[in-house]
Amino acid sequence: MAERVKTDIGKAAAALDLDTELMVRLKEGDGASFGVLLEKHRLSVVHFLYRMVQNYAVAEELAQEVFLRVYRSRSTYEPTAKFTTWLFRIATHLALNALRDGKNERLQERLDDDTSDMPVRQVSDRRPSVEQSMVYQAKLDEIRRAIAALPEKQRAAVLMHKYEEMEYSQIAKVLSCSESAVKSLLFRAYEALRARLAHMA
Amino acid sequence: MNCPMESRENAQLLVDYCAGKLDPEWEARLDGHIATCAACGEFARRQRAVWEALDGWDAAPVSADFDRRLYRRIEAQVSWWDLLVRPFRSPLGTVTPRRTLAGAAAACLLLTAGILLERPAISPAPAPNEMAQVDTVQPEQVERTLDAMEMLNEFSHHVRTEGSGSKL
Ligand SMILES: [Zn+2]
Repeated sequence: MAERVKTDIGKAAAALDLDTELMVRLKEGDGASFGVLLEKHRLSVVHFLYRMVQNYAVAEELAQEVFLRVYRSRSTYEPTAKFTTWLFRIATHLALNALRDGKNERLQERLDDDTSDMPVRQVSDRRPSVEQSMVYQAKLDEIRRAIAALPEKQRAAVLMHKYEEMEYSQIAKVLSCSESAVKSLLFRAYEALRARLAHMA
Repeated sequence: MNCPMESRENAQLLVDYCAGKLDPEWEARLDGHIATCAACGEFARRQRAVWEALDGWDAAPVSADFDRRLYRRIEAQVSWWDLLVRPFRSPLGTVTPRRTLAGAAAACLLLTAGILLERPAISPAPAPNEMAQVDTVQPEQVERTLDAMEMLNEFSHHVRTEGSGSKL
């Protein structure tokens, strides 16, 4: 089915080349290349981790660990895989570990408690009314709960598919499974999400 | 075309369709099918609702001091080596001859590697599948040692530069 899905091969190849080149330059001692990689991928890594663990402090701590490991591994880096596959493999591994270690035990109470660490969405220059804000927060809360209720691997697959716009083959490499396993994970995940969120249309 | 709902594999086509990820040819085929298939139409309506709901989940900007904290942690690793090799620097702040320093540093490296290898329980277990290019080849302890060697190189370069700058 992969060939049925749109791919911008030129763009992907260019991105692959740039990231790989930066990593190779870093390996050769060009510290500035690390800064470029950090600038390029910082936001997506932090957001992915936030949506995985749903706690900003934990997400940023994990993201620090991700980039620290990238830096530490520069001397042994071999460009055998797409850089983002490697990057998200590290991020996913750390997120799953953190969830299993209970590092994120505050998740449930956060969800039950306040939403103070959530971003305020800037939709327009008009300030939303109190009622609009409450409706928005309630919807957001519902989405967060629905994602949090997914088994961890399904959650990771959905987040990479939806927000990182990764192809099945790349998600498969990140999660170390087959493409058909990824499709199965996504099918079950979206099935659960449809049951919980389809009424929001 | 056959109804994609007949198999789980093909039902994923509908998910891609709703996400706008299909190529134009398959999108047109699905358009045609959905116009005549109530089950797929309902599936697509619900899947689009999920997709749009997820679109509404913004994440906050990264903390302003994120990079500063990260670089501080990176520097701390190098500083650790600085502390380790400091005894081999002369009291006047000049650097011992390169060969002596290299020998001393190599001894430290071997000592550290020995400690790591002797006391595996202290180190966390190697993370499986964590780093494709690294862990499939070497255990984390070896990776650490290589990192340490890299940091040592950096350190040696640093002290050489510093040494020549302050005029030995
Ligand atoms: Zn159908």
